Order: sequence, then structure tokens, then C-alpha cells
Amino acid sequence: MVKQTKTSYKSSLSKNNMERESIIKKLQSIIAKVVKLENVKLTEESTANDVKGWDSLSHIAIIAQIEESFDIKFKLRELAKLKKVGSIIDLIIKKQN
Amino acid sequence: MINFNITIIDQLIQRFQQSKEKAFCINDIYYTYNQLSQRIQAIREILQQNPPSQFKLGLVANDDIDTYASILALWIEGYAYVPLHPLQPIERCLDICEQINCKIILDSSLTSRYNNFKVIKTNLLNDKPFQPSYNKEINEDNLTYILFTSGSTGKPKGVKISRRNIAAFANAFDQTDLHLQSSDRCLQCFDLTFDVSVQSFLMPLLHGACIYTIPHDQIKFSYVAGLIEDHQITFGAMAPSMVRMLKPYFSELYSESFRACILTAEASPLELIQAWHQQCIPKATLYNYYGPTEATIYCTAYKIPIQNVKTYHGIIVIGKPFEGVDILIVDKKNTPVAQGETGEMLLSGDQITTGYWNNKTLDTKAFITLIQSGKRKRYYKTGDLCFSDAEGLIYYKGRKDTQVKINGYRIELGEIEYHVRKFYPESNAVVLTQEKEETIQLCLFIEHTQEDPHPLIEFLRQTLPQYMIPTEVLYLKEFPLNNNGKTDKNKLQILIK
Repeated sequence: MVKQTKTSYKSSLSKNNMERESIIKKLQSIIAKVVKLENVKLTEESTANDVKGWDSLSHIAIIAQIEESFDIKFKLRELAKLKKVGSIIDLIIKKQN
Repeated sequence: MINFNITIIDQLIQRFQQSKEKAFCINDIYYTYNQLSQRIQAIREILQQNPPSQFKLGLVANDDIDTYASILALWIEGYAYVPLHPLQPIERCLDICEQINCKIILDSSLTSRYNNFKVIKTNLLNDKPFQPSYNKEINEDNLTYILFTSGSTGKPKGVKISRRNIAAFANAFDQTDLHLQSSDRCLQCFDLTFDVSVQSFLMPLLHGACIYTIPHDQIKFSYVAGLIEDHQITFGAMAPSMVRMLKPYFSELYSESFRACILTAEASPLELIQAWHQQCIPKATLYNYYGPTEATIYCTAYKIPIQNVKTYHGIIVIGKPFEGVDILIVDKKNTPVAQGETGEMLLSGDQITTGYWNNKTLDTKAFITLIQSGKRKRYYKTGDLCFSDAEGLIYYKGRKDTQVKINGYRIELGEIEYHVRKFYPESNAVVLTQEKEETIQLCLFIEHTQEDPHPLIEFLRQTLPQYMIPTEVLYLKEFPLNNNGKTDKNKLQILIK
């Protein structure tokens, strides 16, 4: 019984990881397009400071693009939390469910 | 008597006595007036030990207590600061340093970008108890800051602001209807490279109030909304562009503490400002303040009434001159025009800059001496087109250079924008000109999702003559903003080149 729970937890974890992976890929292409770079490499820990051209001006365009392509809408106070790629992903997943 | 020592420094020193009161809230950390004064003293002592041979020093404009303490220490010791933005390209900052021949830079950053300069690392200095005595012999014409604004030639131009200018400004600001108190919690949402920042930190300090700043890594409008609600902000100056960014979220922001809000830095559209007032800050009194950097922050004021707001093309009137500011509206020959007629606004008085940094050509263009009621007076030519009404209220019409002539017709771009905003009441609109095959074309930008522009064009045709109908329409989801929080028209212009 215990074993079974563990397995299902594990499989949901890996499903979760896959989901995060695919979101990161999508974010990479969105951000690359907005800041006009050929490609952008992101990790969960990346912040605006790690990407050339990702400044407070382009941030707003990036957020608008994320909202459009994931078909979600961030709340005003949530925008302040969108500084790290990991937290952007957290919010996207939360909003999609 | 109005002078920098009495109006500014003595007032500040008096505030340092209210030691336990909060002066700043920066990145969620509070600093008392006593702590601020100890940081100031630490920097003063460095300046006293090795007096700089130059009267102006570079200052890296970080968002921290040492940067603000540096400004005040420089002022008390008689020096001027030249802000260098940490997020602007180093080439631009170095160009400014070169223009002013700057040798010493105050920098609170952990690692400085200025390796070839004498850098005073203010964050490494130990607190010192504040000493109220200071040198009172400093000339009123000494400078307090030099701000570099983008010049049309591509090279930034430096505006010199003196101790006399700042004292005149602070005195006139306090004579407007808006009275700051020590209990106020005030927004400072402007970069230190923009002069509204000086009002936003200096006026609260002179009244013993607390200032809330925006960390550079934050999304400004979202962080501001957080401050307004969480810290119950009572006073703040904002650019209409920031209000416009908040607009889609108006239903998520509500404050009854906000009691006085200044709109400034660009034209204020009535509909936007009324929506901001009614939906988000219903208890506040709103003000429209106008002023070019050359006239020290603001030089006209209008208290926006609840009803019967005076507007021109939907833009709120800029009001009446500040105490001590003399305004003339003149034609091309610098002759005053009749009331109701449009002309260029000229400004005179103690708030007017003594000129641009090392730029005689620009000085000759921008300043003129006119005889007014038998007296010789020096005027700054603002390049802003205005007219006045019977009450003496001044209406802003636009920049002189946005008034264009197409096929002999004089066109005011603001008028086209006004009608576009009627069609898209939720959106910002900017019209720019573009030269194509030796004819001038009108290009319209709308902050809106892409759609078919034909219904709009049909709408415009109902009210505007054919020569005022834009030849090109571009939809942008977000307008770019410059560092001052204004719509960046230069960036828009690039899109059509």
C-alpha cells in the first residue's frame, strides 16, 4: 500500500517535471522573441538579470506575451512575484488548473 | 527670506532632530531621520577630509539609503551631483562623465562600474553622529545637480540647477494648495536621473514625512500598487503613463488613505485621470503639475476639481504659474499674444536654470532677454504651445515641434490623438510624422491588440479633414516607456523608419 502511494507520487512528480520543462521551453521562445535574441537559455533559477535585454520595459511585453500564449491573466499583485523563472512557472501551472 | 541655507539645509537639519521618525522605506527596510543623518555625516566627513577640487561629482543613482544620503551630504557641503543610472549603458554614463569632466564618483554599489575614476564607496563608510554646523558662505549660484536629458542631436544635454533654483522651487511648492505633513507617507517612483525625483524625496524630507521608493528590479506599477495598499500611501506624484499601465487592474487597487496625487511629466488625459480617481483613490485630491527640467521640476499647478474640469482636446489644463514664476505666451517674434491665442510659453523667475552645461549654441537658442514693464527679464523658451483663458488658466496644446504643416495645413498631432482616444477610450494613442518621398506622412500608434483599422479611419473621417487622417496605423500591445516613465516616442519613431 505504502509502496503504491510512493510510485504514484513519483509518477506525478515526473509528469510535473515534464510540464515544467515544456513551459520553460515555451518561455524561452517567448522571451527570445520579445528581447530579439536568437535563443535564450533559462533555468528555474534564472531572473531578468541573466538575460540581456530583459529589463523593466521588456518585462511588461514579456508578461503580455505569456498571458496570451498560455491564455491566462495575472493579477496586479502577482506581477511583482514574476521575477524568477521558477515562480513564473508556478503561477502559470496554478492558473491553468 | 528664501535661500538654500534657510529654506533647505536648516529645515533638513531641524528634521534630523526628530530622530525616531521614519525618513525612508527602501525595499521594505525603514530608516529613521537619525539613521539618515548618520549616513550623511559619514559622507560629509570624507568630503571634508579630501575636499574635491571640482564642484560637481558623479553619483551612481542606486535605490538605497546611501545614495539619498550622498545627495544631501553633497548639498550641505556645497557640491552638486550628476546622477549616473546604474541600469543605463555604461557608454552613456561615461559620455556624461566626460562632458562634465567628472573625476570623483560616489557609488554605493558592491562592485563599481567606474574603474578609471576616484570612487568613494559610500556603503563602506561607518555611521557618524550628525554635526549641525556647516559652511554658510556658499554662493546661491552654486549648483545642486546637473541632469542630462536626451538632446535632439543624439548627444545628451546637461541642465544646471542651482541652489537658488531649488530654494525658489521648494518655497513655491509649499505655497500651492498641497500641504505636506510629517504624518504623510509619500511615493518616490521616479529615477534619480529625472527631476520629479527631487520633489519626491526633498519635499517629504523638509516636512518630516516618510518616503517609499521602488527597487530597480521591481515592476514599477505593480510595486507601486503594493506600496499604496500595504503602506497606506497618502501622497505621491505619478506620470499618467504609469496610471495607464494600472488601468487594466483598477478593480484590484483601492485606497482610502491616498489624499493627494500629483499627475506630472506628460499630458494628463481627463478620462484616464477621472477613472483613476473614482475607482482607486476616491478620497484623494488630484493635481496637475507642469514644468520642464530647465524650470526646476514644476512651475504651474492646477487643482483638479470633481466637476467641470477644464480641458483642451481631453487634456487637463496645466493651471496657473507657481509663486515667483512669470509666464509669457508669445508669437514667433516673441511678442505676447492676446488671451485665447496660441503661442510658445516663455518662463522667467528664480526657478529658471542658468543654462546648459557647456553648450553656448543651445543657450543662445533657448534663452532670450525681453523688456517687460520697463525691466529686462531673462526668459526660457519652453517649446511648448499654450494659450490662456479669461481666468488666467493655461492650456497645454503640445510641443512646438509636434505642430506640423502638411500641404500648407497646420496640424496639431494632439488633436488627431484626441479623436483616436474617443474611438479607443481605453487606449493610448500617439501620432508621429514620417518623411516619405519628400512628403510628410502621419503615422498613428495605438496601444491595443491588432485589429482592422478601417472602422477607426471611418470614424476619424467624420470629424477630421482628409489631410489629418493618418496614412499608417500601427497597433502595439504595449507602448515602450523611457526611464522617466513616459511613452518613449523615440522608440516608436524607430518602428516606422
